[in-house]
Amino acid sequence: MYLGIDVGSVSTDIVVLDEDLKLVHKLYLRTKGRPIKVIQEGLLILSEFFKDGDIKAVGTTGSGRYLAKVLVGGDIAKNEITSHAVAAVNLDKEVRTIIEIGGQDSKIITIENGVVTDFAMNTVCAAGTGSFLDRQAERLEIPIEKFGEYALKSQNPVRIAGRCAVFAESDMIHKQQLGYDVSDIIAGLCSALARNFISNVAKGKNIKPKVFFQGGVAANIGMKRAFEELLDMEVFVPEHYDVMGAIGAAILAKEQVVLNKKTSFRGFGIHNTLIMPNTFKCNGCSNMCEVVELKEGEFKIGYFGDKCGRWSRVAV
Amino acid sequence: MNITFPHLGNTYIAAKVLFDALDVEYTIPPISTKKTLEIGCLHSPDDICLPFKIMIGNYIESIEKGADTVLITGSCGPCRFGEYCELQKKVLMSLGRQINFIVIDEPSKIGIKEFLNRLSSVAKDSRLSIYKKIKALNMALKAINLIDEIEKECRFFAGYEKNKGEFSKLLKDVKREAIESKGAEGTLKVLENYKDKVDRIEIDNFKTPIKIGIIGEIYTIIDSLSNLYIEDILMNLGVSTKRTLYPSWWVKNTALSALKINRSPIYKEAKHYLGMCIGGHAQECVGEAMLNYKMRFDGLIQIFPVGCMPEIVSKAILPDIEKRYNIPILSLVVDEMTGEAGYYTRIEAFLDLIEGRKRMCI
Repeated sequence: MYLGIDVGSVSTDIVVLDEDLKLVHKLYLRTKGRPIKVIQEGLLILSEFFKDGDIKAVGTTGSGRYLAKVLVGGDIAKNEITSHAVAAVNLDKEVRTIIEIGGQDSKIITIENGVVTDFAMNTVCAAGTGSFLDRQAERLEIPIEKFGEYALKSQNPVRIAGRCAVFAESDMIHKQQLGYDVSDIIAGLCSALARNFISNVAKGKNIKPKVFFQGGVAANIGMKRAFEELLDMEVFVPEHYDVMGAIGAAILAKEQVVLNKKTSFRGFGIHNTLIMPNTFKCNGCSNMCEVVELKEGEFKIGYFGDKCGRWSRVAV
Repeated sequence: MNITFPHLGNTYIAAKVLFDALDVEYTIPPISTKKTLEIGCLHSPDDICLPFKIMIGNYIESIEKGADTVLITGSCGPCRFGEYCELQKKVLMSLGRQINFIVIDEPSKIGIKEFLNRLSSVAKDSRLSIYKKIKALNMALKAINLIDEIEKECRFFAGYEKNKGEFSKLLKDVKREAIESKGAEGTLKVLENYKDKVDRIEIDNFKTPIKIGIIGEIYTIIDSLSNLYIEDILMNLGVSTKRTLYPSWWVKNTALSALKINRSPIYKEAKHYLGMCIGGHAQECVGEAMLNYKMRFDGLIQIFPVGCMPEIVSKAILPDIEKRYNIPILSLVVDEMTGEAGYYTRIEAFLDLIEGRKRMCI
């Protein structure tokens, strides 16, 4: 079986795939700013279902991929863009466009013949991403899971200025003070975010069907509908939309372990060890990289964060 | 007079050779770090481009070490770089620093007489004969050509090396030893020594690494602090990179343009899209993109600072080159706010994209 771990800004997803790359188990945990702890918790839960020997390879992805790789002994750490694309292509060969919106990132990936041909990612603004929706749900005291339902109830969505998170919030408050219905505001917000995505992140990209919508925000059916209306084509949300990155990492790990011959997985046992990160400045050259060292008790388990590989290449 | 200058890639090594040979006082600014950038941002206009901010940081750090004269090159426009010297003078003056500026503008803009005038003011404290001064200049030129040549070879052949990390280590060693060596001759000897060493590193000709051309705004592609050490990262990932815009290229290009005998193929290649200079190095960016395509590079990475007018024009041209010639191009925009995580994710994904294409033989 293959383990995939996606350590994102908002959620940490862990999946276990079988030999045929079918999903056996999935976990969707909140990162809450403590990636080490949440990975350990996840492994603890999984240790009830699986033994160390079951895991043939481990892949990590997400912004915490290097940390996760060192921590669990990953065989490969891949960026989210490639992981999402691999997972989607594995699921459906017909996919041509992937819209992925996570906690802090939004991305568009275009695919031809199963190969990524182009991609883009939000650069300066996170207005349309999950954490902003989270915040708005909290402000309106609507559970985030219900956000989409509210949007669908709307008859006449209001127009919200969605270019910037701060202004979008001001505009929402303004509309709410004018007495608009909450569901109309939420529907307006969804279409503003979709508009913002298409005109910013997806600017100049050739969006062709079949379109996949994945990442945490795909849970919001209001967003799905907004994209469908805007693009005038059907948008598919895969069954495991929320853990697609982790699935991709597990698939890539399966390919990688063939080259590596043996997995470097450190076992589920690490869930009850004390892991301490420690950062220091490397004085090897003028770059002065900040290197992170992970220690398990007194034992150094690995390094990451350097640019030249002087530390990360060290096998501990 | 204690001369200092802003960092630009390897120029500090050439400057060391020049000033050592001239026997004048000088201060090499501490290598640019995040702290340099912070100091620069604090005292610069918020909307100005990134190079300006790092340069101000360099000056202030040098002034603290005793420098009182700044030597920079000018360009007389048309992009914002043309106003750097005047603005920077004002910034430093408002901080209560009386600093002299020696601005080496292109001779074609200020006249050959004024050019020589300014050039000689650099060496006015030197008691050497004019012949020896010219010799010093010559040594500096030799130094910049040598170190740039070494760096170019290291960056390109990194993808072919037999033992991983050799080129990267050599590049670090040569820079350290060159700056620690005594006197102009000493530095040149180190450089010549390392030039031989580079050629002796074993390479594997059967390897087929990803080859990437680095194009874009000259300062941000040369200065590794502003591009978040992109070349080091690519080197570590076993990617061969090529960049034409080195300080030595600039010297040669400027000299040839002044004499009106520049026949660089870059301008011929760029002509279809951009027939005239619009400031900065937009023409070079487009021309380089075409040249790299013709040299069968796998992809291009364009880097420029936020608000760079010339590069915005070339960025608008690149998608056409990308489509017409089927070569992937990634544009990265940098400033002091650039987040590392997203930046590296994009670079890694771009390499995966190229690898995927290579596998499918596209």
